[in-house]
Amino acid sequence: MTALEFHGVRVRLGRGRQAKEIVRGVDLEVPSGTVVGLVGESGCGKSTLARSAVGLVPLAAGHVVPGRRRAVQLVFQDPYSSLDPRMTVGAAITEALPRRRLFARPSARPPGAAAAEVARFLDLVGLEAAHAQRLPGHLSGGQRQRVALARALAARPEVVIADEITSALDVSVQGMVLNLVKDIQRELGLTLLFISHNLAVVRYVSDRVAVMSEGRVVEEGPVDEVMGSPRDPYTRTLLESVPRLR
Amino acid sequence: MRRLRTPLGFAAVASLAFLLFMVVLGPIIWVGEAVRTDTMALNQGPSAEHLVGTDGLGRDVLARVMVASRLTVGLALLATAIAVGGGLVIGGLPAVLGRRAGRLISGFIGLVVAFPGLLIALVLAVVLGSGGTSAALAIGLASVPAFARLTQTLAASVAGRDFVAAARVLGVGRVRMLFRHILPNIGEPLIVQATLGAGGALLAFAALSFLGLGVQAPDYDWGLLLNEGLNRVYLNPAAALAPGAAVALAGLAFNVLGEFAAQVFGGRATAAPAAGRSARPAPGDALTVEDLRVAYGDAEPVKGVSFSLEPGERVGLVGESGSGKSLTALAVAGLIEPPGVVHGTISSGETAMVFQDPMTSLNPALRVGTQLAEVARVHGRLSRKAAWERAVTRLTDVHIAAAARVVRQYPHELSGGMRQRAMIAMGLMGSPRVIIADEPTTALDVTVQKQILDLLREVSDRSGAAILLISHDLAVVGQLCSRVLVMYAGVIVEDLTVERLRAGPAHPYTRALLASVPDMAADRSQPLATIPGRMPSPAERLPGCAFAPRCPLADSRCHASPPPLENGVRCWHPVAGESVTVAEKGSEG
Amino acid sequence: MAIQTSHPWAAYLGRRLMRFLLSLALLVTATFGMVHVIPGDPVRAALGVTASPELIAARTAELGLDLPIWEQYGRYVTGLFTGELGQSMVSGLPVAQTIADRLPYTALLALVAFAVVMVTAVPVGMALAAWTRGGRRRGLELVFTGVSGLLAVVPEFLLAVALIVVFAVTLELLPVADVTGAMGPEHYVLPALALAAGPAAALARIVRVEGLGVLSSDYLRTARAKRLPARLIHLRHALPNLLTGALTIGGLLISGLIAGSVLVENVFAWPGLGDALVEAIKAKDYPVVQGVVLIYGGAVLLVNLAVDVALGKLDPRSTIRED
Repeated sequence: MTALEFHGVRVRLGRGRQAKEIVRGVDLEVPSGTVVGLVGESGCGKSTLARSAVGLVPLAAGHVVPGRRRAVQLVFQDPYSSLDPRMTVGAAITEALPRRRLFARPSARPPGAAAAEVARFLDLVGLEAAHAQRLPGHLSGGQRQRVALARALAARPEVVIADEITSALDVSVQGMVLNLVKDIQRELGLTLLFISHNLAVVRYVSDRVAVMSEGRVVEEGPVDEVMGSPRDPYTRTLLESVPRLR
Repeated sequence: MRRLRTPLGFAAVASLAFLLFMVVLGPIIWVGEAVRTDTMALNQGPSAEHLVGTDGLGRDVLARVMVASRLTVGLALLATAIAVGGGLVIGGLPAVLGRRAGRLISGFIGLVVAFPGLLIALVLAVVLGSGGTSAALAIGLASVPAFARLTQTLAASVAGRDFVAAARVLGVGRVRMLFRHILPNIGEPLIVQATLGAGGALLAFAALSFLGLGVQAPDYDWGLLLNEGLNRVYLNPAAALAPGAAVALAGLAFNVLGEFAAQVFGGRATAAPAAGRSARPAPGDALTVEDLRVAYGDAEPVKGVSFSLEPGERVGLVGESGSGKSLTALAVAGLIEPPGVVHGTISSGETAMVFQDPMTSLNPALRVGTQLAEVARVHGRLSRKAAWERAVTRLTDVHIAAAARVVRQYPHELSGGMRQRAMIAMGLMGSPRVIIADEPTTALDVTVQKQILDLLREVSDRSGAAILLISHDLAVVGQLCSRVLVMYAGVIVEDLTVERLRAGPAHPYTRALLASVPDMAADRSQPLATIPGRMPSPAERLPGCAFAPRCPLADSRCHASPPPLENGVRCWHPVAGESVTVAEKGSEG
Repeated sequence: MAIQTSHPWAAYLGRRLMRFLLSLALLVTATFGMVHVIPGDPVRAALGVTASPELIAARTAELGLDLPIWEQYGRYVTGLFTGELGQSMVSGLPVAQTIADRLPYTALLALVAFAVVMVTAVPVGMALAAWTRGGRRRGLELVFTGVSGLLAVVPEFLLAVALIVVFAVTLELLPVADVTGAMGPEHYVLPALALAAGPAAALARIVRVEGLGVLSSDYLRTARAKRLPARLIHLRHALPNLLTGALTIGGLLISGLIAGSVLVENVFAWPGLGDALVEAIKAKDYPVVQGVVLIYGGAVLLVNLAVDVALGKLDPRSTIRED
């Protein structure tokens, strides 16, 4: 079973003469309960692909399954920009909670239920319930990224797309966030599309990996296969360029 | 309330008091004086009885100025309210309406806003007729486009941020988006602009009344009084100056209030004044740094760093953000600017710098050739022609094809990797003994990164220049360097060879750093090591080892006294050389 | 990364030209519509309540105000192309004649003022940026921001009044405009000063702030790392990067200057367009108002277009690619 599918997705950005095809026909499947890594260099279209999946950029062709909003949630690269500075952590997560019956009276949900849910999601990402009262300005980069993750999970999505979520973090904080992602994924059986330019990070987190170049997926397969015996020449160049200490 | 004690805060309080006094008490105190005609004293100059003289009916001009303040300020505020209200509605519409309608509205705003407000106000005054209220309407409406544009620009800048995208993904509707996410985040600059706008409206009102198109007699505001005063300027200049001064003062008061609001909201900190000079490199063969300290006021981000580089040696300087590695590099290059203060001795031969972001490090307005050639012209005293020829040669040396064409190009016409090559070529225009490269590949893709690292190695082999490579990435350093300096909280905690780094460092911080980053051989079934806590800030001064609060091996001695750098390690409990193991990685979860 | 060569420039120019034409159409329509949205009968308003119904009917027919509105609009627009702007309701003189008589005075005054602004503001702002960089010379910075802030806030017509009081009335050093119409260079000093002081102060402030930004940029750090002399750093590396910002603001300032001249002309009884505009508004002489507003608005649009073109030439990197 697959939770997220891209079928012949094309995305053009810009208007008129300056329009450029950023994603040039991508077919990709993310099986339920697995982590698929997406690697590629800057400008290859991986972030645009992620945005197309959640409806932030329009598709020029093809389609994405599921097409519903909220079923796919996106966690962004920069935790300093992805949280509303005027909204407490609790309010941000509450906003994401599904409204069960739209026409029910507000009192239909017992008071405190939302707070309990917020506390549960904060606990899931390793934050205390007291953090709900804080504004993002009082949190560190790593804590903000945890909140962003909690907000995405609170919407009960079928798939989470993580777009370079550790790139803005220091290396020691990156380790913490990666551990958290792996733990939550295992615990909830989450389906995850994990996007990064860092091959070692993608290798560490993912079950399968797709390599993107110039708007196309050039290679896809189990991590060990793709990283161990790459078939595509571009994947080979990419792997050879990774600096190694050992 | 501390902000009120700054000069600006004081001026703001004074301005507010001044405005309130004039508006509330002015008419009450002086109204009798202002209407009393004195046929014995027509058009008089300043006297003890009439401080700025009398008008054509013998009324006291100063009293009339005081009384007029309520009408003047009131009408200015009315005009501002119209401008802000209209601007918010029209400027907020594009965010609520769809793409196409939004574009249409913003296009229209763009066209109207090109015309000066005063011109629009004059045209509107024709339509609406003369009089106080219609003039307020004219001025208010004339400022609507500007406020709409401001609202729209601010809203667009907020709408471009990721938290709005995140809310859209969550299915938040447009109206809720506007009121919950966008307006709260643009409220502060809007209040600032509205305050400044009130000052502008006051001046515009004075202008309109002065031209005879605003308030009409027998009512009077400052503009009308100014007009009357100017007609008799040769008889009594003070009668023209007094209302003029009132207008200027009130305008200034609104501006001071606006500036103060901007400072309160913007949190613009006043930088601590300090003086100091950067050390300049002295001629010599190798780079030697002794007890280097960099201070900004009370904070000392670099707390005594010593090391030396042999000719041709390639050394990496590694640390997380806040470790002081980049400031060390800048200090070595003599590029610390005030208020930073540098202490210690630095002696080095000719240095060349390569910076992190090749896009911003080259001057966008100058050709690549100009930027290279000027080094040789200034320092090597080469002729223009010879300098350009050398620029072409050096660009060829860093493997730029068609160098003769590239010298004539501007930086924006080159790719990121090409720009970084050009930066390195620029460093080679002289004959540097040390090349300081500050995160030279962080902004580049991994394939380009490899090429640049290979190039730096080649350059140092060929020219014999030493390289100091600043990086947060141990693997990148391992690729190029033979020796590594690890920095933490402003000091070097370990000085070791790359072989030793691979085999197993001695300092717990270096080991933790190594274990927290997944590499291409990491065991995916094990969690990564993490370092609990955070690095002490540059202003904190710990009595013992700076890493002790986060160190699993720390004991009371570590917290009490700072360890010296011995055998390349600054630690009381160095780990004997075993490699970083999986078990150790799992120690913190 | 690679940029297509001549195409973006042509497209940019096309977009700007399109915008200019659209704005012009808006201006023409607005001036035409202005007369039609005035409450009541504009002819009666202009001629006064004592005018006979026959006179009003005759003048209404003369102005074509009894025709269907589309026909009136058509006549108005074709009139513009042939330079036919109608006649003054008050004096009966052709509006084009009035404009031709008055425009030179206004244009020359605005040009002189603009030259003063540019010649003083850019060097002063640049020098202040270099001197006060990184929190140096805080005293100088305080004096500069104080004085320039004050000058930028005080409106031109108040400054004009103050200048008259000081230099013309009290010291009797310089003349105010002559009723006989004789205009020597000395007549330009006070109005030009009044008109230029505010914009010059504002521009100098902006140049300083931009300069501080440029001086702390990465590429200036590169220039300093190359150990270039200060002269080269400031003139070759910093100045060109300041020009785009200064030019953008300069364009806005000219627009403001054109509008501000209306007031200054009134203070000095200057025989220019601004004076004519205010007189016409007071007398409800709508054809003159229409004509003069068209000239002012058109001038502003032309300046904007010129600035856009200059910006595109100077800084092809960022400007052309936006929107």
